[in-house]
Amino acid sequence: MHDENEPIEYTAAERALFDALPRESELNTLTEQRLVNTLRAEGYFRARVRRTASLVAAAAAVACLVAGGIAGYQYGMRNSLENRLSQTNLSLNDRVLLLQRAGSAYVRAANGYADATTRVDSTAVEVAQQILMGAAQAVARRSMDGGLTVRLARAMQTSGATQ
Amino acid sequence: MTVTVASEELPDSTLIRRFLDGDERAFRTLYQRHTPRLRMVICRLLGPRRDDADDLVQETWMRGCRGIHGFNGEAKFSTWLTTIGVRAVYSRFARFSADEEPLFEDVAEHGEGDQALAMDLERVIEMLPNHQRTVVVLHDIEGFTHQEIGRQLGIAPGTSKATLSRARCTLRRLLNAGGVRHA
Repeated sequence: MHDENEPIEYTAAERALFDALPRESELNTLTEQRLVNTLRAEGYFRARVRRTASLVAAAAAVACLVAGGIAGYQYGMRNSLENRLSQTNLSLNDRVLLLQRAGSAYVRAANGYADATTRVDSTAVEVAQQILMGAAQAVARRSMDGGLTVRLARAMQTSGATQ
Repeated sequence: MTVTVASEELPDSTLIRRFLDGDERAFRTLYQRHTPRLRMVICRLLGPRRDDADDLVQETWMRGCRGIHGFNGEAKFSTWLTTIGVRAVYSRFARFSADEEPLFEDVAEHGEGDQALAMDLERVIEMLPNHQRTVVVLHDIEGFTHQEIGRQLGIAPGTSKATLSRARCTLRRLLNAGGVRHA
């Protein structure tokens, strides 16, 4: 007698039908993408940072730094006092500014020199006087000061002779 | 020397570890490897409601991903995933069971007398009640044991066996009634 809980066996033909059934179905790429998007929104995937991209970014940063340094150096050199003095195409305003800069530079240099030495240092006094004299004579040659520089230069010569 | 292995060739355990590290490609490889079979199982389990298959595939993977830390490798990943899929389908059955045929009911009135219908095995399986169809799909097509089916469905192995017994009788009756093409 057949036990009703014991499954009947399939015939060979029935078994063959089962064996012929497909075991897999087509992949649905839309479903895959939807799932990946959902998982990404839930933070399952880390941000993809490609090694080459980060290397390129680092190289670009270094290049920018170097280019910036070179540009800054060139800008500084182009506007240096020595470079401006050698230029012949300056406007009148530029030349006034240049004169002010040179004068200021002279005063700063003199102050620095005075700070670094003593007032009775004969070399320091002589250098300071020579430069001041040279500047006064240059201005006097051009008669730019209405005679003041000539008198000043003369007074300095007299003072130097009596010392 | 470093040897690069394509992700398609990596074992599931490696892909799972990489996925847990946030590797999207590892996940896609896992998905593409296991979804064709999973989707077919879900389609068959759903029977006449197979239009819901893609939703349930997605739901299965989401449940799987959320619980993948609990996958200890004792069973094969495909078996573990299929179990999740089966339970997802059963949750769906429970949702629309109120206006459907009751579970574990025989199908006597479904196929008999409908001899004009040229049925094939796939359609006959589809006509089975949910529980019978589930056991036939899992046991006779996917090769799970009654112990495994019992764990998947939360029923005793004996219940699975008894359900299969009824299902096979129903199948044979429907196959004979429908004049199914025998190979």
